[in-house]
Amino acid sequence: MSKTPYIHKMAAHCESGAVTSLLNNQGLSITEPQVFGISSGIFFGYFHKMKAFTFPTFIVRNKPGQMRKKVASRLGIRFHTEKFSSPEAGEKRLDELIAQGIPVAVQVDFFYMDYLPEWERVHINVHFIVIVGKEGTKYLVSDGYFPNLVNLEASSLRKARFAGGSMSPKGFLFYPEHIPNDIRYEKAIIKGIRQACFYMLKIPIPFLGVKGIRKMAKRIPDWPKYARDTEHLSHEIMKINVLLEDQGTGGAGFRFMYATFLQQAAGILKMPELTELSKQMMLIGDKWRELSLFAARIGKNRDLGPERLKELSALLMQRADDEERFFKELSRTIKNKK
Amino acid sequence: MTNPITPELKLEIKLLIMETLSITGIDPNNIDEEEPLFGGTNALTLDSVDGLEIIMAIQRKYEVRIGDQNLARNIIRSINSIAEFITEEKEKSKS
Repeated sequence: MSKTPYIHKMAAHCESGAVTSLLNNQGLSITEPQVFGISSGIFFGYFHKMKAFTFPTFIVRNKPGQMRKKVASRLGIRFHTEKFSSPEAGEKRLDELIAQGIPVAVQVDFFYMDYLPEWERVHINVHFIVIVGKEGTKYLVSDGYFPNLVNLEASSLRKARFAGGSMSPKGFLFYPEHIPNDIRYEKAIIKGIRQACFYMLKIPIPFLGVKGIRKMAKRIPDWPKYARDTEHLSHEIMKINVLLEDQGTGGAGFRFMYATFLQQAAGILKMPELTELSKQMMLIGDKWRELSLFAARIGKNRDLGPERLKELSALLMQRADDEERFFKELSRTIKNKK
Repeated sequence: MTNPITPELKLEIKLLIMETLSITGIDPNNIDEEEPLFGGTNALTLDSVDGLEIIMAIQRKYEVRIGDQNLARNIIRSINSIAEFITEEKEKSKS
């Protein structure tokens, strides 16, 4: 294994950042927006009533794990993955890999990343970091949310890798096992774009894609019925801002990152039309950010009467219309591209 | 060579923040330029919603884009870091 020092970079999102970081450090030239775009990361899903959630919520990206899996299948990369039934076995295996000089991505509960300020840390079981070394009881960590390599106590990492609750990591780890010498990005990019268009426009599930944005727009005036009190409603409305801006989305619910992907795809595919679409996606991102700020403001000011929620609903409906137009045009643009 | 960050720019940023967030009763001279604006002991302390408002105000006033929120968090850490970012962006747009 190479003894070259690990090159750390900040990332917009933890999973795309960890995948990009591992691949870059193995010598593959790929950017985080390309990982995001090739894996059809852009998405929307609204969950009004589901057992897993105590309150209506939404997502703006594909399922955790999909970015790694799709990038692997579309570029011919093979990742080795493992889960563990006990913390001891998980720690032992991680230490073996580190001792062999293999940087390893691990799934963790974000809360235990104690190098980050306390006010930033919440319990989320799907944060990804890369472990690049160990000295004594401290691991050397590359976390895309932190500006430089950082140390983390083994006891904290153990808690983080084996935290309980929803989507518990169970010590999950991965690292690239095989990267082809000659990677053709063109086909992978086209596949990534096609599937993103399908997810946003045609997936036959009424709460996913553009249909999901419309569903959320229609149902948001009902949210007060599900809230315990104004404080709870305010918290849930402000969470719209958190989910769009504050949870490793690259800003505006991943829309800025997708715009950057299209800009880079325009160069790789030699399709200047995608540059124009990239600009359109940036503007769509700006509008999501305005919506995000509106939600944050009314939540913070407890200004949550029916009129305000109708305004929020109208903003969401506009975002659905924008995205429907956008993805139809994107779909047309790449229709005959092979 | 990068232009030095001017005291005028720092004052302008302080006033922009105060105007954006409708903050009155603070003397801009009392806002520490290096001290964090979030979770610290500065005369001006902000929360994440304020942060988003400030990002959008900076984007509008200086015609720059701050897309990545991890980058944004570093930029709006203090008055100095905002001033540094704006100065660098102005330099980039000239070249």
